[in-house]
Amino acid sequence: MAVYKRTYTRYSGPLTSERWRCMIIPRYAFQTVLASRFYTGAFVLALVPHLIALLLIYFRSHIDALGGLGIDARGLQIISINGGFFINLFIVETFVSFFLVALLGPGLIAPDLANNAMPLYLSRPFSRAEYVIGKMSVLLTVTSLITWVPGLLLFSIQTALAGLSWSWDNFRILPAILLGSLLWLLTISLIALALSAWVKWRPVAAAALFGIFFVSAGFGTVTNALLLTRWGTLLNLASAMGMVWRWLFLNEMQYRVATFPFETMPSWTGLVSLVFVCGLALVLLAWKIRPAQVVR
Amino acid sequence: MAFIELDRLSLSLGGRTILKELTGAYSGRCIGLLGPNGAGKTTLLQVLLGFYPPTSGTAQVLGLDIRTQIRQIRHRIGYMPENDSFIAGMSAIRFVRMMAELSGLPPEAAMERAHETLFYVGLGEARYRALGTYSLGMKQMAKLAVAIVHGPSMVILDEPTNGLDPAGRARMIQLVREIRDTHDINLIISSHLLRDIEEFCDEVMIMKDGRVATYCNLEEERRANRKFLQLETRGENSAFLEAAELLGCECAVDGRSRVKMVLPETVEIHDLYQLAQTHTTQIRRLQYKRDSLQDIFMKAMEVGKK
Amino acid sequence: MQSDRLIVFDNVSKFYGEVLGINRITLSIAPGVTSLVGPNGAGKTTLMNLMTGLLRPTKGAIRVLDIPPSDPERFYRNIGYCSQFDAFPKGLSGYHMIHSMMSLHGFSGSEAESRTWNALERVGMTDAAHRRVAGYSKGMRQRIRLALALAHDPKVLVLDEPLNGLDPMARAEVIDLFRKFADSGMHVIISSHIMHEVDIVSDSVIMLSGGYVVAEGNIQGVRHEMEDHPIQILVRCDRPAVVASNVFQQDSVVEVKIHTDGRGLLVSTRNPDQFYDLLNRIVLENRIAVEGVSPADENVHAVYQYLVGSNGAGPL
Repeated sequence: MAVYKRTYTRYSGPLTSERWRCMIIPRYAFQTVLASRFYTGAFVLALVPHLIALLLIYFRSHIDALGGLGIDARGLQIISINGGFFINLFIVETFVSFFLVALLGPGLIAPDLANNAMPLYLSRPFSRAEYVIGKMSVLLTVTSLITWVPGLLLFSIQTALAGLSWSWDNFRILPAILLGSLLWLLTISLIALALSAWVKWRPVAAAALFGIFFVSAGFGTVTNALLLTRWGTLLNLASAMGMVWRWLFLNEMQYRVATFPFETMPSWTGLVSLVFVCGLALVLLAWKIRPAQVVR
Repeated sequence: MAFIELDRLSLSLGGRTILKELTGAYSGRCIGLLGPNGAGKTTLLQVLLGFYPPTSGTAQVLGLDIRTQIRQIRHRIGYMPENDSFIAGMSAIRFVRMMAELSGLPPEAAMERAHETLFYVGLGEARYRALGTYSLGMKQMAKLAVAIVHGPSMVILDEPTNGLDPAGRARMIQLVREIRDTHDINLIISSHLLRDIEEFCDEVMIMKDGRVATYCNLEEERRANRKFLQLETRGENSAFLEAAELLGCECAVDGRSRVKMVLPETVEIHDLYQLAQTHTTQIRRLQYKRDSLQDIFMKAMEVGKK
Repeated sequence: MQSDRLIVFDNVSKFYGEVLGINRITLSIAPGVTSLVGPNGAGKTTLMNLMTGLLRPTKGAIRVLDIPPSDPERFYRNIGYCSQFDAFPKGLSGYHMIHSMMSLHGFSGSEAESRTWNALERVGMTDAAHRRVAGYSKGMRQRIRLALALAHDPKVLVLDEPLNGLDPMARAEVIDLFRKFADSGMHVIISSHIMHEVDIVSDSVIMLSGGYVVAEGNIQGVRHEMEDHPIQILVRCDRPAVVASNVFQQDSVVEVKIHTDGRGLLVSTRNPDQFYDLLNRIVLENRIAVEGVSPADENVHAVYQYLVGSNGAGPL
């Protein structure tokens, strides 16, 4: 017989490894995201373009087989699966990922700051950098799964279907997709996180994310017009991105229907502009994410 | 072993020096931190937690240096901030679990301890509800739960009874006492309510203007001074008081039939009762007056003014 | 007492839609310091809002110093209110905040200024008056709000948790201030959770629970009225057992508990007066060395425990 009394006890068991502590944040964030049907649905919808691309790739390689089935698919021959095809897919991916970031991003940091939870985070063996990395990885993981990961998969499938010579000719696309996606995702994720830290209302933060791109485009055009220069283009985020993509994808960009107004500017300036924006976002984040706010 | 050692610790923020060369070693089980607004109490706690790096000097917490080993210190500290601190959309159990994991506990242990701790602080029934729906008292308890879930060896509580109604205060006081009485744990409690500090703490550090104005050991203070008495009487007491004065006692009457007395060596309390009997005065209350924390605090504040 | 020196609630109820604020309350509050005590949600803030005319009752009538809230010109001159919420207009300094309020009250330039400085002096904020309120510490903001409530020299001060955030010195100063006001004939209505401070500062207490008044009046009087809870008196002495066996000479003593350390006992009696006489006799007859005698529960905290703690709304 025993009577058990519940009291406070110290913890003396093992501790988890410190290097992966920042992964606690994404784990909890994913639990929330996956529990919501809305977000899961959005994620699934985001994969639809890839599904369509997969079907196109498949059918394009099997026009004869389809003919055997009695379906006249020769019209498909207009579509050639080459760099241009992947670039189109890439552009669609960037739009979709932008929407997804606008959906998920604002809700990541704002709730933590809304009720002053930062001192509780930072009084633990957990640094601000780990916090930001953790939050970033949420966005990067989700968006990677709908951009370059399926993109690369499709590339491999096409290689399997069309043979190694095809992949040799179009080899440049692989790193282009990877680097282009990563750069894009990194930039918009950082901007989204910075907005989430500074703007409390989620819809407003999402709108601000859209706004930044439109406004920067406006700024860029106006600057160019007023000062009769091309350097204003650097203010235009979308242009800066486009410049880098153009360099990555090389001449493939000529297949694009709409072009960005970047004319003959060197590509590295676009990269610099993006790096600057990312740096600005990091500074803004560092300013807001503090254990204690100093009020004068 | 001193669990906090301050070595000329100074901090300047925004052009103002907030902590000025704090020095000392403190080893009590429960230390109270007192001081007027602006004395630097919260700032000192923030420096010990590593929120601000010191401008000069250093400090050791649990034997670890705050300049170089702050991460290890944070493993062993639990912090309950004064202001509201929660994530509105999360349930209490998720929040406490996450905080436990961030302190290094493996997920299963975090889960177990989170449930245990929430029951312990009295939020057992409400632990699946979102923190945004909690009342003020519940939020305070949730903060306490977050501070102790990872079983730290030192807990810092900043105004723990802030805003609680009497029932909540009583529970918080009870909990803090229980935590203090566990072996091997040190507490630092900062509060404006002297009564609360008197309840829990054996040692008190009073700060003023960024310096330590006084450090005193309450246990020792309580044992001193056995000859000061406070009485409350009923009935005509002037004859009684005169007779007492004749015996050598000093009497001071305080408005509503309260009397403060200093007894000389020769007089016992028994003699007072004798006098009361003789002069038909009823002694309703009799207490040794100890130098309460209020007086110690006031004295500490005076020191600077001269 | 004449009605123009009282705050009167006549069968007042306040409902917020379905939610209860207060239910059928009748009170007559005399000048002096009156404390409102009760758990969160008991109706303290509702009562204060009704008293200051910020809310209209669903039923019943309120008159403050014989002026109803429907006569705002006269009503608001007499009342000063300090809410518990830490809100302030953005961008103003402490001085500006009070000065603009004085202008609103209709005081001319020079009078508004002198009143402002007067109020600031009373709360000890003259040094920081020109700094922005946003930069004040919590205690300083509390003091500015107090100054705001008393700057126009009202006859009734209604203060919701006025000591919140103040350090011990400031608490003592403000408590002194309240006593001074009370002694000069003002009504000071305070709500507080800190029982021992309520004990020190109040002349009378109103205890609320679940929207009802469970007790009101001077705390000792209230305590003695509570017949189903005998008064408890703590006696510390060297031979508690001897005292214990002797106290049962009186019928009014109902229970004696000896303290675990063997150096004290807790006596429950229905007639404390008789008991003290008895105790005096026992001490002398048996040569008991007494270390201390004190009523254990003649304070607000104990009364609160009895009346609210057990059957009122629980802490959660």
